[in-house]
Amino acid sequence: MLKIKNLKAGVEENQILKGLNLTVKAGEIHAIMGPNGSGKSTLSAVIAGNENYEVEEGSIEFEDEDLLDLSPEERAHKGVFLSFQYPVEIPGISVSNFIKTSINERRKALGIEKLSTPDLLKLMREKMELLSIKKGYLSRNMNEGFSGGEKKRNEIFQMAMLSPKLSILDETDSGLDIDALRIVANGVNKLKSKDNATIIITHYQRLLDYITPDYVHVLYNGRIIKSGSKELAHELESKGYDWITKEADKEWA
Amino acid sequence: MGLINEIKNYSDKKNLSADKRSALDNFLENGFPTIKDEEWRYTSLKKTISGKYSINAVGRDVTKKEVEKHSLGLKHKIILVDGFLISKPEIKNISISAYSEFISNTNEALEKLNYSLAKNGYTISVHANTTIEEPIEILFFNTVENNFIQYRNIITVGDNSQVKFIEKIQNIDCDNVFVNSFTHINCESNSKLEFNKIQNNTPNSSLIDTVDVFQKKDSVSNINTLIFGGKFIRNNLNFEQNGTNAESNMNGISVLNKNQLADNHTFVDHKSPNCRSNEMYKGVYLEKSKGVFNGKIMVREDSQKIDAFQSNNTLLLSEDATINSKPQLEIYADDVKCSHGCTIGQLDKEALFYMRSRGIGKEEAQAILTYAFASEAINNITINKVAMLAKKLLINKLDVDLDHNI
Repeated sequence: MLKIKNLKAGVEENQILKGLNLTVKAGEIHAIMGPNGSGKSTLSAVIAGNENYEVEEGSIEFEDEDLLDLSPEERAHKGVFLSFQYPVEIPGISVSNFIKTSINERRKALGIEKLSTPDLLKLMREKMELLSIKKGYLSRNMNEGFSGGEKKRNEIFQMAMLSPKLSILDETDSGLDIDALRIVANGVNKLKSKDNATIIITHYQRLLDYITPDYVHVLYNGRIIKSGSKELAHELESKGYDWITKEADKEWA
Repeated sequence: MGLINEIKNYSDKKNLSADKRSALDNFLENGFPTIKDEEWRYTSLKKTISGKYSINAVGRDVTKKEVEKHSLGLKHKIILVDGFLISKPEIKNISISAYSEFISNTNEALEKLNYSLAKNGYTISVHANTTIEEPIEILFFNTVENNFIQYRNIITVGDNSQVKFIEKIQNIDCDNVFVNSFTHINCESNSKLEFNKIQNNTPNSSLIDTVDVFQKKDSVSNINTLIFGGKFIRNNLNFEQNGTNAESNMNGISVLNKNQLADNHTFVDHKSPNCRSNEMYKGVYLEKSKGVFNGKIMVREDSQKIDAFQSNNTLLLSEDATINSKPQLEIYADDVKCSHGCTIGQLDKEALFYMRSRGIGKEEAQAILTYAFASEAINNITINKVAMLAKKLLINKLDVDLDHNI
C-alpha cells in the first residue's frame, strides 16, 4: 500500500529525514518509535503533504501512485489520514459541519453523491458510540476549548468517519489519560480491517499495550535503524534507546 | 464640469432658506473633501464626483414584487422610493412620517450639503415606555440612473422604549446612484436601540452615510454595519453620550472584492462618566478592494469610569487588497479603561493544512476560515433574518459552495 524509498526531507536547509525506507501492506499495523528529534513528526507531515517540508530526494508511493505530486486534499481523497499531534482549533465551525464538509468534499472528488443528512447522522451516532462521545460535542466549535484528550478523541472520531485506507497516528497517546487511551485504542482496533493499514508514531510503548503492531521500527537521526516484531517495543521500554542509537552512531561515525 | 457644477446649477434655481443657502455657500466654497483632508486621506471621492449627475431626481414606482424581492420579509416595512415615503406600517405608539426639516451642527462638508439640499427621508418617533418586538425594515429604493440623492432622517426612541431597525438601500433598474444620507438618532433615557445597516447595493453605487447618535442616561445603542456591495462606501458613525451609564456598541463587517472601497469612520464621544463603548469591525478584502478604518474615542475630562473597547481585524486575501486602519484615542480623564487592538493578516497556515489534510480543498478551506473569522461579528446581531442574510451574502461573496447554516 505504502512504499517509501530513500526519503530525504526537511525544513529549509535543515535535513531531518536522511534516507528513510518503509513498506506498509494492507492489513498491517506498524509502530514507529524513536527518541525526540529523530524525525517522527516530519515523516507524518511529509506523508500528509505539509508544504512546510521540502522533499529533496526519494519517493513515496501510495497504491502504486506517486504521492508526492498530490496536494494534501488529494492525498486525503485517496485515503490517507493523519491524526495530528496538535490538532488545530477552528472557531466558527462546528464539529458536525466540519466532518460533513470533509466527507462530502472527498465524495465530490471521487464522483460519489453527497451523503444525505440522515445517513450522516446515523454514521455519526454509530462512531460516537464506538468512541464514547457525548452528543453535545457535535455542535461545539472544532477543537475550540477542547482538552488535550478531547482533541485526540476528535481526531480518531474523524478517522472513523472518513474510514481511510492508511491512518497515521502521530503521538495520539500523548495527553491521554488511561481511560481515554483505552477508548482510543479500542476505536483503532475496531476500525482495523484487512484492507486498511495504520502507522502508529509514538514515543512510548504505552499505546502498544492496547494496539498490537505487526512491526516495530526504530527511527533515529532520520533513518530507520532497527525493525522487528512487537517484542522490540517491550525491549525498548525496558532498555531505552541508547543501546541501538549508540551502535548507529558508531556506524555513521 | 462634474457634480459640483450640477449642484450649483440646481441650487440656483431653488428658493432655499437663508440657513440652507448659507450652508450651501459654505459647501461650495470648499467643495467636496479631498485626500488632502486628514479625515479623507485614504478615501478619494474624485472618481465618484467627476461623473454627470442629476440632483434629487424622481423616477418610477416600485412594484410589490420588487419590494418582496429585496425585503428581508419582515412584517413592518417602511418603503421610500427616490427618497419619498410611499408606505409605512401602522404600529401602536410609533409615529412614522416623511421628511421633516431639522438642523444639525456640523463642520462636515457632506452634512452641510445634505442639510441644504435634502427634501426627503423619514421621521420616526417611538413614544415613551414602548417595546416593539418585531424589527422594522426600512427600504430605500432608487430608480433613477446617474442621480445624486439626499436622504435626511430622524429617529427618536422615547424614555424606556425598545426598538430594532434594519435599513437597506437598493437600486432598481439603475446602477450609478450616489446617495448622501444623514440620520439623526436620539436615544432617550433607558431606551434600547438596535440599528442594522445592510449595504449591499449595485456594483456602481456610491454611498456616504452619516449617522449621529445622541444618547441619554442608561440608554443602549447597537449599530451594525454590514458592507457587501457597492463601489464606494463611506460611513461616518458618531455617538455622543450625554448621560451616565450609557452604552454604545458597534459591529461592522466588510467583505469586499474587485475595486470596491469601504471606509468606516467611527467616533465615540464619552461626555459623561460611567459609560461604555464596544466596537468590533471585521474586514475581508479580496482582489483589488480597499478598506479604511478610523476609530476615534474621546474621553472628556470629567468622564471617569469609562470602559471603552475597540478592535479592527482584517484579512487581506489578495496581494492587491489594502487596508488603512487607525485607532485614535484621546483620553483626558484618568480613571478609565480603554483598549484597542488591530490585526491585519492572512489565514492561519496550520489551520489550512489541517483542513486540507481532511480532504477539504484549498479554496473551500480558505472560505471556511474566512467565514469563521467574520462570523464573530455576525453572532452579535440579534435579528435572526439579518444574521442569516449576512451569512448568505458572505458565502456568496466568497464564491463557495458552503452550507450557510454552519
